[in-house]
Amino acid sequence: MSTVRAQPVVRVAPPQAPVARETVFSVDGLSVFYGGTPALRDVSLDLHANAITALIGPSGCGKSTFLRCLNRMNDLVPGARVEGRLLYHGIDLYGPDVDPIEVRRRIGMVFQRPNPFPKSIYDNVAFGLRILGMKDDLDGRVEQALRRAAIWDEVKHRLGRSALGLSGGQQQRLCIARAIAVEPDVILLDEPASALDPISTQAIEDLMQELRRDYTLVIVTHNMQQAARVAEMTAFFSLEVGADGSRHGILVEYDSTERIFTQPADERTEGYVTGRFG
Amino acid sequence: MRASFHGELDELEAALQEEGALVLRVLRTALNALARGDGELADEVIGFDDEIDRRYLRIEQGVQSLLARQTPVAGDLRLVLAVLRINLHLERMADYCVTVAKLTQLMGGLGVSGDAILSSLEDMGQRCEQMIRVALDAFAGRDAEKARSLNDLDELIDRANRRAIEDVLSLGDSPEEREYGLRMLVISRCVERIGDHAVDIGEQVAYLVTGELLELTDASHPARA
Repeated sequence: MSTVRAQPVVRVAPPQAPVARETVFSVDGLSVFYGGTPALRDVSLDLHANAITALIGPSGCGKSTFLRCLNRMNDLVPGARVEGRLLYHGIDLYGPDVDPIEVRRRIGMVFQRPNPFPKSIYDNVAFGLRILGMKDDLDGRVEQALRRAAIWDEVKHRLGRSALGLSGGQQQRLCIARAIAVEPDVILLDEPASALDPISTQAIEDLMQELRRDYTLVIVTHNMQQAARVAEMTAFFSLEVGADGSRHGILVEYDSTERIFTQPADERTEGYVTGRFG
Repeated sequence: MRASFHGELDELEAALQEEGALVLRVLRTALNALARGDGELADEVIGFDDEIDRRYLRIEQGVQSLLARQTPVAGDLRLVLAVLRINLHLERMADYCVTVAKLTQLMGGLGVSGDAILSSLEDMGQRCEQMIRVALDAFAGRDAEKARSLNDLDELIDRANRRAIEDVLSLGDSPEEREYGLRMLVISRCVERIGDHAVDIGEQVAYLVTGELLELTDASHPARA
């Protein structure tokens, strides 16, 4: 047998990460502690404008903790402490002059369970606008937000009725409309479809594709196929056991979604996405 | 653990190896039938092919079912796709064996003996058997390096195939000798194609291991010296 190694004459390169676009978040060495116990350690990554980035990983891996860092929601957790650098459009998000309220206006959040206020559909969307003093053309802003959230046609004749009368899928889109109304730059979604049926889930996923034209989206999901369907970039978080036996989340791999689901570089990612653990 | 999914995937891979072993058996039978001019043995080759077709279809259905139900990703996805493609290559190898067998049966009445060409076809056939074993071993062992070595082995078969023309031209000018020679050229081409399919299996092994889609041989480029 010849020992000469054959060189392939035609080769198709594996999928590469998409060309870098404007960086919205630049995260460097981010760690989060709850009451002195590390929950997430040493995360570094850049999140890009007008992309959907999915955060995946097993329970307790810190992906929701990471998401909440992006709009300082962890400030509301007693004993929470954030270390490292988190730049938002080049500005230190945790800097002394930064107003967390303004942060949360620019970086909106949608939660796992739809949480409309016990108010009318209209007032749900107008609520944040009134608080922030964005009262000019309130009707127009409410309509615009409901249209962008792809729910206007379903609610335009009953804006005065209670939001609690809507279906779960409609309530979630209303919550997205509420987040959009205050003209954010980024929308964070924490398992936005996990409490919804498949049809409503499809509607939310379609909506996310529409929204990425105007916004940067970051989604935490337990549903790996959802990440594969909607996201352009995917970050895989996992659990690491420290020297003292404590467990904390780490970022294992961050790449294009196609790469993560066809040819992940790290065997821990491979083990998670294929369901073959250790 | 997705135990049942991975169990099914293991079963598919085992079925593919069995199909490969059967193809080796069919090829050896076809070569023996050719060497001995044995029409009955050639019949056996044709009968074997139905069994290979059944196995081919079972694997094809298994892959379709896994894709529909389990949404494999990453290494699992590459394995499922590799099984799908390798299955097709094995089935094509068996089809070439059938062509060799049918031509063997047609040549019985010609009364021509071409010892030189029969000897070089046996030689080519043995190289093909070796290539199929290397391909199946490389697949089982996830050995991309071994898979790439198939390209060098194939080069030897390609050269032997080109020499077959000289053997045929030296046979003689009678109508029987010309017919015999033409049929032998087709057989030589069939054996050469079996080698090509073994290289294609090697490409699938390299893809499975590295994630890179590549073409180890390309008809549009001249063969290396």
